[in-house]
Amino acid sequence: MAVTTATLGASPRARRPALLAFRTAVLRKPGRVVGLAIIVLFALMAVAGPWFYGRLEIDPDAVYAPPSAKHWLGTDFAGSDVLQEIIVGARYVLGTAALAALITAVLGTGIGLVAGYRRGFTDSVLMRITDFILTIPAFPLLIVLSTVWDFSSPWLMGLVLGGTGWGGMARAVRSQALSLRERGFLEAARGLGLSTRHIIVKELLPNIAPYVAMHLLLSTIAFVTAEVGLFFLGVVPFSTTNWGVMLNQAVFSGGALESPDALFYLLAPLSCIVLLTLGIVLFLDAVDELFNPRLRERA
Amino acid sequence: MSEVSVRALTIEYQTSAGWLPAVADAWLDLRPGEITGLVGESGSGKSTLALALLNAVPAPGRIAAGTVELAGVGDVTRLTGKQLRKVRGGALGYVFQASQNSLNPLKTIGRQLLDLGRSHEVADLRALIARAKDLADRMGLDGDRVLDSYQHQLSGGMRQRVGIVFALVLNAKVLILDEPTTALDMLSQASVLDIVRKVHDENQLSTLIITHDIGAVSEIADRLAVMYGGRIVEDGPLLDVLRRPSHPYTKALIGATARITGDVDAARALPGRPPDLTTVARVGCVFRDRCGFAVETCATVEPVLAASEDGRRRACHVEPSTVLSGASGTPAAVGEPA
Amino acid sequence: MTGFGRRLAGKLAMGLVMVWAVATFTFFLVRALPGNPGDVQYENYILMGMSPGQAQARVNAVYGFTSHEPLPRQYGGYLWQLAQGNLGQSTSYSGVPVAHIIGSALPWTVIPVLSGLIVSFLIGVAAGVVAAVKRSSRWGGLLSLSGSVVAGVPTFVVALLLLLVFHTEWHLLPFGGTSDYEAGWNAPYVGSVIEHAVLPVCTYALLSYGGWLLAMKSSVISVLGDDFILAAELRGITPVTRARYIGRNAILPLFTVLALSFGLMFGGSIFIENTFDYPGLGSLLLKAIGTRDYTLMSGAFLLITVAVIAANILADLCYTLIDPRVRR
Repeated sequence: MAVTTATLGASPRARRPALLAFRTAVLRKPGRVVGLAIIVLFALMAVAGPWFYGRLEIDPDAVYAPPSAKHWLGTDFAGSDVLQEIIVGARYVLGTAALAALITAVLGTGIGLVAGYRRGFTDSVLMRITDFILTIPAFPLLIVLSTVWDFSSPWLMGLVLGGTGWGGMARAVRSQALSLRERGFLEAARGLGLSTRHIIVKELLPNIAPYVAMHLLLSTIAFVTAEVGLFFLGVVPFSTTNWGVMLNQAVFSGGALESPDALFYLLAPLSCIVLLTLGIVLFLDAVDELFNPRLRERA
Repeated sequence: MSEVSVRALTIEYQTSAGWLPAVADAWLDLRPGEITGLVGESGSGKSTLALALLNAVPAPGRIAAGTVELAGVGDVTRLTGKQLRKVRGGALGYVFQASQNSLNPLKTIGRQLLDLGRSHEVADLRALIARAKDLADRMGLDGDRVLDSYQHQLSGGMRQRVGIVFALVLNAKVLILDEPTTALDMLSQASVLDIVRKVHDENQLSTLIITHDIGAVSEIADRLAVMYGGRIVEDGPLLDVLRRPSHPYTKALIGATARITGDVDAARALPGRPPDLTTVARVGCVFRDRCGFAVETCATVEPVLAASEDGRRRACHVEPSTVLSGASGTPAAVGEPA
Repeated sequence: MTGFGRRLAGKLAMGLVMVWAVATFTFFLVRALPGNPGDVQYENYILMGMSPGQAQARVNAVYGFTSHEPLPRQYGGYLWQLAQGNLGQSTSYSGVPVAHIIGSALPWTVIPVLSGLIVSFLIGVAAGVVAAVKRSSRWGGLLSLSGSVVAGVPTFVVALLLLLVFHTEWHLLPFGGTSDYEAGWNAPYVGSVIEHAVLPVCTYALLSYGGWLLAMKSSVISVLGDDFILAAELRGITPVTRARYIGRNAILPLFTVLALSFGLMFGGSIFIENTFDYPGLGSLLLKAIGTRDYTLMSGAFLLITVAVIAANILADLCYTLIDPRVRR
């Protein structure tokens, strides 16, 4: 009997029903569609936003102006349009988060897979390193590093965030790999003589992809929080279209906590963050149900 | 006089296509001193039936019709709350399928026994432990050691036996074992079956063994009941059923069982697949698609489980003699003394 | 040596290695900073008229090393000082030993963090159980959502909001410092301490509440699907016993989450102490960065990390004690 080296885990034909199941899961509850819509909105903002605007205008006569037809969200301390700053600022925030997420995904998944599949000594060493990364409190490290490096470029920030944040992903991927190992189809693949690389890439990877996706979405929230927080604390150079800096200005210079003038200036970036978080969380609900069948309730 | 009488039991599950029966119109008797083997393929509804005996059909299922009469107690399907809990474990002992993880991994066996005793308001807990140790010893375990162990410290066979201890420690008169041999190797299977027979005899229990392995259960069973597509299709004394099967499915099942002696090609698999909840036929006989003896009526009228000879029941439109002499597979006996 | 003892020794060894790694990292960090501060100070001292020997000794006292020695010697000296508990001297609080400054700030971080952790654990776990049991109902779904959203909102946002509502708007709670009274074991002082601590503790609690809720919910759902729960039900155990079986088994994996949340809490202390003007380790670190007081900065960072490592070891040991499958 001839044996073809078809993949034994998820075949390509089986993946299309997965897309269908994904659509069903998302459409099941309205909250999830809203979540997806929010995420798409912000993504668009980040990518296309700055194209619609030229330079930031300064209008000393209209400092901290309330919302009006001209300035939908009011103005900041220099009279510049808050809405413009929000949209333009989205690029840094989301760009950094995206880069960090990418690095986390690659590093975390790679290390987790190898550790989970190989086990033994390799596993021990990799897990020790992961534990180390996990134990170091990320935020204190970030602000300490901010004294050495300049974070006005989103790339460096994303790099550092990703480089310090892959620990959780690695752990999660590894435990998934370990439990998948029990499932037997990996041994079957081994028995057929398939190479380790093939096994890891074609068999394990499609099966852990959902967990990676979930984890990624969650860590995006964490990354956005971390970078906004960093700027909020004022430890990095100034840039007016940065959400975190806006918050910083609003609270410490604009006295948003005391007087109502700078309130919109404070609330605008704040609501963006909360909205983005909400969007990801709502959407994540769909992903969660999709891959955790026990959560599916009968209609 | 039956210990447990199942009458017209129907169990339904809610699916996207509505409420579908997993077990339909089941009749079964468990008598003291008798081991009954309930045989069927996966999806035949046998585990669901077993759970119904304890009124433990899981959601989204429900008992739609019928009764389960327990001697001295009444209809178990009508019991709830504390009464039901008393019956479970106190009158009916259930040994879980794949006893691999039927115990709390964080507590020692002994402590779990104490929990059990307290739940059943047992006055003398020390006597309970003593009985447990006695049962364990009789089954070849080191009672003291086992009681101090955690689940992960015991082997599969040991866990199965501990499961039996839990089922009998409160002096239940009915023992139900769901697939007791499935997760075990052949040697452990044999020893577990021996133990079940021994324990059954010593305590004069009414025992029900649910399994798909007709060969294994025939070692120790007194009666055999065969299930297909949620219906009991045949029921009778073991040797009678094995030597003279009167239902086409039983005959095919026996014929499909490979034997350790003789020609392995003599075993003939049944064409087609066993139905599950959603694919089972709703009109007529559930087996007709795969039946070599099917006639016109089989497609439209569902056969009723009726008494055929003394102590035997069958659900089929075709005459027993026709089935017996027919060609599908050789009616060689399984479990016949060599 | 018992299994437990062996595990403890192993964990301690790992912890020490980590501390060493962080110390080394901090060592190289300070030297990598723009305008090597040690050198700068040295030059300053020379300009002030000190002899090279004196200047060197002074810099040594402050930083634990000078760049005029060969690197291995500096490193060795640094580690040696560290082992003795000498973290150098602060440059912003001139001359005061860093260890001393950190020591007085430490309790104001550790105690609120612990209190917040306990509160959020208790409430979060309870809510998680409810969210799991009632997951099909609307309330259950909302509860879960509340956990997710709270978990996602940044710390400083929470801190700001709390401050806004309870201090600025409603004038319920004070702000700034740990107490309005002189230190001492008297009622006004203690009362004031508690008053000042309420908002920070609540913020800490809200930080990890979401995490506990979600983790417990997921764990309970997982345990509910386990065979032994059904098996126990079929044996007729009481609902109370069943609840205890589920609870104990579900809480166990949360201990690993405990380890991770320490890191989060300490990280959050930077924001929380900054917002509420609370003199703990976090605000110390921030101030040190602001004034470029490198010895204080590295000392604070080191200590925060050591605290997290220690907490992780503790959490891990607790797990070992509770789970019999891990004990050998």
